[in-house]
Amino acid sequence: MNGNHWDVQIRRIFGQNESYLLFIIIAYSVLVIFLNPSFLTLENLFDLGKSSASLGIMAIGVFIVLLSGGIDLSFTAIAISGQYIAANVLIATGVDNILFAFLISGLVGVCLGALNGLLISYYRIPTFIVTLGTLNIFHGFLLTVVGTKAINSAQLPKCFKIFGAKNVLTLVKPGGGSYGVSVFTAIFIAIALLSWFILKYTRLGRGIYAIGGDREAAERAGLNVARIQFFIYCYVGILAGIAGILHVSLIRYSNPTYLVGSELSVIAPVVLGGTRITGGTGTIIGTVLGVALITLINNSLILIGLSSFWQGFFTGVIVAISVSLSSYQSRKNVTI
Amino acid sequence: MIHQYMKHSRTTILFFMMLGAFVVMSIFLPDKFLTLSNFQSMASQIPEFGLLSIAIMLAMLTGGIDLSIVSIANLAGVCAALILTKSSFPQLGGYEEVFKIILAMSSAILISLLCGLINGLLIAYIKVTAILATLGTMSIFSGIAIVVTKGYGIQGFPEKFLFIGSGTIFDIPMPLIIFIFSIVIMSVILNRLSYGFNLYMLGSNPIAASFSGINNRGVLIRTYVLSGFYSGLASIIMISRVNSIRPGYGSTYLLQGILVCVLGGVDPSGGYGTISGLVIGIIMLQILQSGFNILSFSPFFKNVIWGVMLILIMVLNFYNVRYSQKLRKLRTEQ
Repeated sequence: MNGNHWDVQIRRIFGQNESYLLFIIIAYSVLVIFLNPSFLTLENLFDLGKSSASLGIMAIGVFIVLLSGGIDLSFTAIAISGQYIAANVLIATGVDNILFAFLISGLVGVCLGALNGLLISYYRIPTFIVTLGTLNIFHGFLLTVVGTKAINSAQLPKCFKIFGAKNVLTLVKPGGGSYGVSVFTAIFIAIALLSWFILKYTRLGRGIYAIGGDREAAERAGLNVARIQFFIYCYVGILAGIAGILHVSLIRYSNPTYLVGSELSVIAPVVLGGTRITGGTGTIIGTVLGVALITLINNSLILIGLSSFWQGFFTGVIVAISVSLSSYQSRKNVTI
Repeated sequence: MIHQYMKHSRTTILFFMMLGAFVVMSIFLPDKFLTLSNFQSMASQIPEFGLLSIAIMLAMLTGGIDLSIVSIANLAGVCAALILTKSSFPQLGGYEEVFKIILAMSSAILISLLCGLINGLLIAYIKVTAILATLGTMSIFSGIAIVVTKGYGIQGFPEKFLFIGSGTIFDIPMPLIIFIFSIVIMSVILNRLSYGFNLYMLGSNPIAASFSGINNRGVLIRTYVLSGFYSGLASIIMISRVNSIRPGYGSTYLLQGILVCVLGGVDPSGGYGTISGLVIGIIMLQILQSGFNILSFSPFFKNVIWGVMLILIMVLNFYNVRYSQKLRKLRTEQ
């Protein structure tokens, strides 16, 4: 009896998407280390954690949208709007404070997200069409009204650069100099934990799973679907705003044409993490692992010896394979 | 009487909206809008995104979406461009150019059919949601185009090939003739063939369609292959008109294509949409487009307008449905 129990437990662990993903990440890392030993240093790993933070935060937002059975294409436009408007306001007012930047970017994010949420929850327009429209509206509006000129490193307020270099944990290299866990990684982990908590332990979070699983049933069970949807898109807006600030602090350069067009590279890790676009299935851990794998692949293409031209192709192949696998799995489960 | 009118209201309203746009443009910009050269340039721009809109409409009729059309057009265009500029068949002598053009066009069509088939297989057999499948293949197809060309453009095609995109027969641009021909074929397919009937059935209710003996998988695959075919056709016109190709070319056509479909009354959840509505939508968009060009609006601002229009139409549809539901309720209560 006891042995049988163990058997079930092990099979459950191996049956999970997350376990496959972890296995692939480890196998791939071993391959990369084999080809280029310089990959396996603590410094490089911390660096990857830092550079993937803004992608990861946007991915968590997209994850929640997919979970509810929708799709968001406009989050890149929200992120770049938040970033560019915040940088411009900081320059214009002369206030050199990173919290103020976060506040502005978050506010822009909430407002734009709320517009998405209103259109989706009240007018019941397909999420894909709403966000394709607002992607173009937000980005076009930013470029026509706010401006098209990039803000270079010299013009950028100092607080972004200080924030970008901040570590929560600093280690000293044997030969002098220091490296450490960036504050970016800490923010990413905090947001992942917060989202996990909301999804797992609040009525709202369970509601998100419920409307993704079956909207009709959720409505009949007495959930206020419109309000939950409105919350989701506002939350994605805030996350996109935060990601926008992290992005500018990382590259120390704010170009209003950046980010837009990279939607797939954010959707890819979410889908890779086992989230189904039809809604109702998926975990935060899966998304985080998906982000890790995509970052790993994008950063190691050059180490392996392929040019960056291959990046789009590989992202597409990964998405196609992972959605095929997950839909194949879900059908297998249904027939059993 | 009113009943009869309501049935056709959508296309009728659309037609009057198109006339309205035309009249407004003519009144405000008479010396620039009402010229033969403007109409000729409009007529040569319509076919490109018109064909791509048909491709999107086909996928929308099944209740899906095809995001990969522009990428398919890019890949097919790159392939044709490579054959036109890099290949040589000296043994054919005087027929070399003609042979190269035929080879380029047929391989572009073949590649677009193949891309459509890949989409169809993913959606029909592996049952991946259309939007994700085509989002993935979109990146794959354009990724291949980028890898092949290393991101550079290809230009300078044979003189005879350019006739497809910029030649005229009796003052009618060649692309327009191809486009009209394609529309006629498409409406025959949708309205007269059993495939077309099955397509509408599948779109409005896949389960009912399957139980009434329709081969859903076959219909889906044929739809995405057909959608690929129209993208390939669009790419031939496109590269011939601008005499060059660069990966990423025509990426704004995706938004415009979806806008035209929604404008033309195609239901994004599937099962409803007519070619006549689509054509009126295409003409209307083109009228606005050339008006904005004359007013020299920036491309960003044009995108804002397209986005606002897309959402506005959906909001209007929402009120329209609600209103007609109210009417029906009143009628049953009586």
